Amino acid sequence: MTQRRFSIGDRVTVRDATSLFHTRTQRFARGRTGVVTENRPEWVIPEDEAWGRDENGRREPFYVVRFRQKDLWPDYTGFDVDTLETECSERWLEPAKADAK
Amino acid sequence: MTTAEHTHVEGPTEVSEFEVLELAVRELAIQHGLFSAEDHRRFSEWAESRTPAKGAQLVAKAWLDPAFKEELLSNGTEASKAVGVDWLDPTGKGTPSDYTYFYVLENTPKVHNTIVCTLCSCYPRPVLGMSPDWYRTPNYRRRMVRRPREVLAEFGLHLPPDVEVRVHDSNQKSRFMVMPMRPEGTDGWTEEQLASIVTRDTMIGVALPNPEWTAENPPNAKTGGRR
Repeated sequence: MTQRRFSIGDRVTVRDATSLFHTRTQRFARGRTGVVTENRPEWVIPEDEAWGRDENGRREPFYVVRFRQKDLWPDYTGFDVDTLETECSERWLEPAKADAK
Repeated sequence: MTTAEHTHVEGPTEVSEFEVLELAVRELAIQHGLFSAEDHRRFSEWAESRTPAKGAQLVAKAWLDPAFKEELLSNGTEASKAVGVDWLDPTGKGTPSDYTYFYVLENTPKVHNTIVCTLCSCYPRPVLGMSPDWYRTPNYRRRMVRRPREVLAEFGLHLPPDVEVRVHDSNQKSRFMVMPMRPEGTDGWTEEQLASIVTRDTMIGVALPNPEWTAENPPNAKTGGRR
């Protein structure tokens, strides 16, 4: 078990990294900041799984991240309380800067 | 007309590019002995016999038994066995795209959950069966994350402003199912009666259960499903 870098409640920003190959990290989440709400197991990352490396691919902790819809979509038409949750592998997350939205 | 101008038109008689790709890969796999044509047929038959009745049973059980509800919310994969669903079926490692991580999302008076897969079509097939066509359309996938209240309204579901609409994009290995709130007017109902109103759409989160509306007996046009 590797040490998990993030804990529930941490504010995290999704990295705006490469779109080459298979990442499973949605473009709409890139560069956006949310809060870790759940831990997920250590899974083989999609970048390796896409090449059939189910057994010997790199394993990493995954997290559920919750975003406020208004932070994802500048023209969001719903209400302030609305949220979206999705899962990210650790490599896609970094600690949010204090002023990040 | 040049190739660049050619517009791809999908119709009921057309085979989509993905279907062609699937066929080609399948034929190659069979040719190389990875699995047989019969294996493929049997797997398809198995996959297509999954049904939302299992999910409905899970919800009805949870409504009646607080201890089971707690188990379902904390370990959905394990709790599914209570209704005969083993997420490891049929390969011992689950199905190739369903994995074995199942999480049940509880609706509360303040939170309404709904599920989508923006990447493609991830769906909790072992407990809900094959996904509806609309669930897999780019229209639903694109708009459910971005304009969820509008999409819900198109399904006839209007939620008040103080209810948080929480969209779950199943983009990785987890599969989700919504546990709706037990509606009023169901006091004293049996598990079977309760399960009959937990329809597929209520577990996707685009509808709420209605005591007068079951999947098999929708209300007549006169009432429009209203109580």
